[in-house]
Amino acid sequence: MFGPAAVTTDVLDIGTRQEEDKRRQMIASGGTGAMCASNFLGEPAAFEVPNVADPAHFCRSNFASACGAADSHQTVKFAKGTTTLAFKFNEGIIVSVDSRSTQGAYIASGTVKKVIEINPFLLGTMAGGAADCSFWERNLGMQCRMYELRNGKRITVAAASKLLANTVNSYRGYGLSMGTMVTGWDETGPQLYYVDDDGTRLKGNMFSVGSGSTYAYGVLDNYYRKDLTVEEAIDLGKRAIYHATHRDAYSGGINNLYHVTKDGWKKIHSIDVNEMHYEFAEEKKNAMSS
Amino acid sequence: MSILEYNGAAIIAMTGKDCVAIACDTRLGAQAQTVSCDFKKVFQFGKTFVGLAGLASDVQTMNSLLKFRKNLYELREEREMTPRVLSNLLSNLLYEKRFGPYFIEPVVAGLDDDNKPFLSGMDLIGAPVYTDDFVVTGTATANMYGMCETLYKKDMEPEELFETLSQALLSSVDRDALSGWGATVHIVTKDGVMTRELKGRMD
Amino acid sequence: MSEFTNNTVNSVKKPVEETPSGFSFDNIHRNAMIEQMSKQQAASGSNSSYLPQATKTGTTIVGLVYKDGVVLGADTRATGGTEVADKNCEKIHYLAPNIYCCGAGTAADTEKTTELISSQLDLLRMNTEGSQSRVVTACTMLKRMLFRYQGHVSAALVLGGVDVDGPHVYQIYPHGSTAKLSYTTMGSGSLAAMSVFESGYVDGMTEEEGIELVKRAILAGVFNDLGSGSNVDVCVIRNDGTTKMDRGAVQPNDVTPLRNAINRSDKLNMRSGTTAVLKSSFKPHSVGGVTLADVTVTDMET
Repeated sequence: MFGPAAVTTDVLDIGTRQEEDKRRQMIASGGTGAMCASNFLGEPAAFEVPNVADPAHFCRSNFASACGAADSHQTVKFAKGTTTLAFKFNEGIIVSVDSRSTQGAYIASGTVKKVIEINPFLLGTMAGGAADCSFWERNLGMQCRMYELRNGKRITVAAASKLLANTVNSYRGYGLSMGTMVTGWDETGPQLYYVDDDGTRLKGNMFSVGSGSTYAYGVLDNYYRKDLTVEEAIDLGKRAIYHATHRDAYSGGINNLYHVTKDGWKKIHSIDVNEMHYEFAEEKKNAMSS
Repeated sequence: MSILEYNGAAIIAMTGKDCVAIACDTRLGAQAQTVSCDFKKVFQFGKTFVGLAGLASDVQTMNSLLKFRKNLYELREEREMTPRVLSNLLSNLLYEKRFGPYFIEPVVAGLDDDNKPFLSGMDLIGAPVYTDDFVVTGTATANMYGMCETLYKKDMEPEELFETLSQALLSSVDRDALSGWGATVHIVTKDGVMTRELKGRMD
Repeated sequence: MSEFTNNTVNSVKKPVEETPSGFSFDNIHRNAMIEQMSKQQAASGSNSSYLPQATKTGTTIVGLVYKDGVVLGADTRATGGTEVADKNCEKIHYLAPNIYCCGAGTAADTEKTTELISSQLDLLRMNTEGSQSRVVTACTMLKRMLFRYQGHVSAALVLGGVDVDGPHVYQIYPHGSTAKLSYTTMGSGSLAAMSVFESGYVDGMTEEEGIELVKRAILAGVFNDLGSGSNVDVCVIRNDGTTKMDRGAVQPNDVTPLRNAINRSDKLNMRSGTTAVLKSSFKPHSVGGVTLADVTVTDMET
């Protein structure tokens, strides 16, 4: 894809070789070879990098998957556009997402699974580049399993989110596009972290990510309480996504909602947001008449 | 992003047996943000309908301009403007602004003096395209062409024309992020105009 | 006071039809601002234009002189970007009873330029007691118009006709240069068409030979150039003043028989009641056009 047609085995080897060379150099220079977390925890996961003077710039200007229409000049456009949200409350954590995937104005899919089930106690969400998110969160799943096998206990959400943050950090400036929330229940209780492509990692009680996040925040901020019942919390997660899909062109489809408790996550529902529109319209009408 | 896609629109016009129909979505957006779900983008001029897709401000400007010129014509000529004349007028109004165009791509659909269907579409500087089956414009053109090429039949009666046109539009906008949020259909027959609001996806 | 009277005279609005003719540049400043704005919003390093594309003809057009007149030919595809905007458009435009003109380039430009010159030729004939238009006159008017706009009116033309001096074919470029030739091709398919002409043209061909060569030239464009397609239109203008316009002289891409052979699924016939309707209303046509009463009560658009 990046070089001339004549490909020698030597060229094909570049990725692994570079990785090998790097590690050897690091060890030779007194490093541990564990600078990259992925090397330490299992097989190295690394991209091959285009053979040009400034690979980061090349990737950014050709394969960046930024949100909105910022990639309209690119020949390669990625699936994206999203509303995802998650919040902590007394009974655990609610994770609620839409299911639309767009390439420019074209709706590539209306049934995307944007909650990634990393393991029975960990959930990740997907916003930004669909491929970036699903690949690296799958990779995170592998790293978490390796941790379990090595240490005989489950990884904390803090550590898991840090692993992901470290990974994306090593590709900073290359045009990865991810806005993800890592949630789960560990020995310290319910946990919620936000990790994104420029390396930000935040701990918090409520996050919403994606092109429709502002609309979702509007609903969440208005109705959120720490002491919501489970039913109320589910309803809030559902409503926030509905309102976001209604106003945001790049969000829509189906609302998938998960509840995280001490026993792990549980999928609550999958509802077509269009059904919600008429359900809520009816509700409004009844409220007006009474 | 092209300025034609700033507000989002999807319009289809189709001919049937001694009837024409025109359908449009109802969204007004500002790029990703949906601002209104009942925006008017198809306008009636007697037995002729004009659908204007593109920049919303130019849609409204062109509607006023057309209405003005059509009224003036009818006062002077004491007869109604036929769709062909309206189409030519529109084409010339657009071409006058060849080097500083209005950002709209219109379609014209109507019945002429003999109640025969007339259909035309044009680009933003007024290059006309005359067809006898269907014409589409807006942000979902590729989708709409696909649906129309599949569903269209010659000489449909008004009722079947309505169903075909509606399904073509609804399916098209369900695959386009910038249009949808409801739809309006006008079916023009020799007797009058049937207007229907459709239930569409609201996301 | 003279100033006052002058003012009133000038401020009397002329009817709309008498507003200054020609292009209007009103929107240019606004559009430049829009382009600037959208460029700022989008990612840096992008060279793509944010202003929309006009419909192009794509096009293969040709013309040649034969023993008793001229033959013009054109394909019938119009494109908007990669999309086929019109599968059967007319690219051989009428200029005068004895003159026709093929157009390639921006669709609106070829259409409106030939339309304008046609009406000017008409007026000219009326002013000269109905004498026949000359091809060279049409050529000069077209080139003057195109030269004035320095190629921004992008019309590439093949002009053909007969007059008192016999049959003529002219080639006119968008910048206004012209050439009088015995055979010529224009448009994106011009190379394909010219290869046919170069190998097949001879002086003093019969009408049948001329038409046949023109058809082959256009077909070369239709099959070898992506910008050209669909059918072949042929127009013959004879020295005796008769013309023959043959729309769809060759239709190598007619899909009707293929379509008819397809067993259309019954599912594609939309049954009544398929679509969910929220509101429905019927309004009969009003009889007669607009009256003054209608106009005066019309509310201002807000």
